[in-house]
Amino acid sequence: MIGYVLKRLITMPLLLLGVITLAFLLGHFTNADPLTSIIGERNMTNEAVVAAARERWGLDRSLPEQYLVYLGNLLSGDFGTSFRTKQPVSADLLARLPATLELVIAAMIVGSVSGIVLGVAAANWRDRAADHAARLFALLGSSLPVFWSGLIFLYVFSVSLAWLPGPGRLDPRAEPPPTATGFYTIDSALAGDWAKFGDALSHLVLPALVLGWSVTGVVSRMVRGSMLDVLSQDFITAARAKGASRLRVLLNHALRNAILPTLTIIGFSFAYLITGAILTETIFSWPGIGSYAVAAARGLDHPAIIGVTIVGGAAFLLANLLTDLAYLAVDPRVKLGARPAT
Amino acid sequence: MLNCLSRLLRPSLASIVLALCAGTALAQDQPLVIARNLEINSLDPSRAFCDTCQIYLSATYEGLVRLGSDNKSVEPSLAESWEVNENQTVFTFKLAPNAVFSDGSPVEAKDVKWTFERLKNVQADASFMMSLVQSIETPDDKTVVITMSSPNSEFMGVLTAPYTGIINSDVASANGASAAADANAADTAENWFQSNSAGSGPYVLASYAADDELRFKANENYWREAPPIKEIVIDQTADAVSQAQALQSGAADIAMQIDPDTAETVSSPDLTLQTVPSYNFIYVAMSPGAEGNKVDLTKEVRQAIAYAIDYDGVIQFTVGGEGNPQASPIPNGFPGTADLPMPVEDLDKAKELLEAAGHADGFEMDAPVAQLNVYGVDLVLLMQKLQQDLARVNIKLNIQPVASAVWREMVASPGVPFTARFYAPDYYGSAQYVQFFGMVPDSFWLTRAGQGKVDLLNQKEVELLNKALAASDAERESIYREIALEMINDRIIVPVVSPNLVLAYNNRVSGVRYSACCNLPLAELSWSAN
Repeated sequence: MIGYVLKRLITMPLLLLGVITLAFLLGHFTNADPLTSIIGERNMTNEAVVAAARERWGLDRSLPEQYLVYLGNLLSGDFGTSFRTKQPVSADLLARLPATLELVIAAMIVGSVSGIVLGVAAANWRDRAADHAARLFALLGSSLPVFWSGLIFLYVFSVSLAWLPGPGRLDPRAEPPPTATGFYTIDSALAGDWAKFGDALSHLVLPALVLGWSVTGVVSRMVRGSMLDVLSQDFITAARAKGASRLRVLLNHALRNAILPTLTIIGFSFAYLITGAILTETIFSWPGIGSYAVAAARGLDHPAIIGVTIVGGAAFLLANLLTDLAYLAVDPRVKLGARPAT
Repeated sequence: MLNCLSRLLRPSLASIVLALCAGTALAQDQPLVIARNLEINSLDPSRAFCDTCQIYLSATYEGLVRLGSDNKSVEPSLAESWEVNENQTVFTFKLAPNAVFSDGSPVEAKDVKWTFERLKNVQADASFMMSLVQSIETPDDKTVVITMSSPNSEFMGVLTAPYTGIINSDVASANGASAAADANAADTAENWFQSNSAGSGPYVLASYAADDELRFKANENYWREAPPIKEIVIDQTADAVSQAQALQSGAADIAMQIDPDTAETVSSPDLTLQTVPSYNFIYVAMSPGAEGNKVDLTKEVRQAIAYAIDYDGVIQFTVGGEGNPQASPIPNGFPGTADLPMPVEDLDKAKELLEAAGHADGFEMDAPVAQLNVYGVDLVLLMQKLQQDLARVNIKLNIQPVASAVWREMVASPGVPFTARFYAPDYYGSAQYVQFFGMVPDSFWLTRAGQGKVDLLNQKEVELLNKALAASDAERESIYREIALEMINDRIIVPVVSPNLVLAYNNRVSGVRYSACCNLPLAELSWSAN
């Protein structure tokens, strides 16, 4: 197993190189000069200023040269400097990644747990009221746009009912906890600042619910479908005939077999949300990778765009690996690296 | 074991519950929170150029002079007195003897000289403010003599702009800043300025997280009366609806970019929503030299287009009537704008002019526009309204919404035949508008409108501007009025609306006002007594 994991980890940089190359080329073939985000409107026709800016930011070099320099810098951990924030992209990403991870993990917990519970319930009570209710809930989660549900949640739970705080990771009056992990909930707990922990946790609830709801829809439908397949198989009938309780049959026999395709969905949902929580991060003023990506794209901030692409690519590759490992843990029939029988 | 865990968690859970239930009962010593979309291009005083930058710089740096609360008068700041020679070429300032930077070191003449030279030499957006500065002498530590290459009656107004705030040159130089002639390439301090301030203002930069928050703390070494509020946070809140929600929930004390439509949805006895006229405006620009023109955009054609616009309808459509028409590219209330003729809609005249120009059947025109919502106006929606208006005289606008960065490139080359854009003042003074919108040498819009491909230079504007820059205060008003009339007649720039500003804040805050140079002067904010 260790050998398999190492092999996968070794091939990752090669796949990432492909992702980087594509992102680099696509960024440079857009019909817009990144200088427009570096130089102000007044100076765009000032040749001296334009030349100095091109030299300063390395844009006066040929594309292959820029690419090689970028790769060389990347090997030493230098992702370049953001045209927009004027900070190293690696610092920007490191500052934002924990925010996104904290949100995405919370959303995945919400989405996965509720999705599995709803999927099992819907399969168990197929075509009855619980099934219809669960499917409606799932459908709404998948189809309601986050920018709408986010604003509605904010208005209802924050403004009208005042049950939960508004946008942001903390009350804006509070200073962030001392950084250990970058997760405000964990960092404030580690610092023993329980008031701040409560503040961070309460700020996490709404965006996690909104983002998690979209995962709920996908997961519950997948679980329901898989469960219905499994529940119709002979070994379930056998288990029931042997006197296993209904709950035991559902959870130990059916769910265990039905969960495998769901793991794939959960794994890819996680990876997707790392860079795909854009709208949620924007609505909830959550300073994560998604909102950074949007601002970078709008500002033609090439180093930042490539940096986000690398993070997104790495997230997908890691999620893929973890999903495979999860298969191994759940299904004893799966053998890592095994060739299909011919 | 369980008992141990229970004992450990009980107080923690209690504090969590208390924190969750704290609601909006905030002590007055807590930071004041402002909700706004940050959109900061830089915190380096010499490179910054944005609305939030104005707030930041005016709080952390002080200029030689400042703009009075009437938004017109010039008041002493770091300079306790000044003299200007008769032909507006030599400006002599005496610095306040007790003025100190936030590190406690005195503000000296060398800092002023270094700051202005750096602002000029880094060749950033605000560098134009120092373009006429020929030399700066420092006869002693507290005296600065600035000599212009030509008369510049606007210079005292320029010095109220927050971009001219004086920097602690020793501290900045130690962190890579340069004021030398090659500062454009040699200066490496911008990154340092993103997390440090080096001014003498009432506040210092506590922290800045891009796209998250900008945090100020009161300057402990402030040389004048300390600001009433010790800590202020500008919290990234992207849109008007989110800002209104933050204000209503108590998460924010001031919301800065609420548009009139959103303001109508906010009602609370704890909140004040005050609509005030602003100096910001949205304009239409026409470029006769743009490569994409399908017909010659002669002055007659441009006049016809201006007559075809339903100005009242634009104001209703874009800001729900919460705005004002504006006659010329110089905003209402600035020198030279009293009693100017407001733009009028006259379809018959528009058709007549088009017929005379040989376009009775109309024509098509490309209209690239940045996808932006500024001062409550969605530029693409505005363009759709203009599309309807111009269709009445058979002009078909091909609206092309593009990213703002793309628009900036397009407008520089190959040019855009028809577009909409916005402008906000950098200080109180009319020359800045002539130098940006007028058909005078080095003007932004003279180049963008296509000077060189067609002759757009307005010699009368050039002469009048030179006259205004050498004129006394009393003479300037009438000269700028003449220039404004010329700019109206150019019909390159047609202002369509000056949106009102909604000042939205919790009643426990006092001192909220709109400043022409600085947006929101933070040092004037305080907690209300009641």
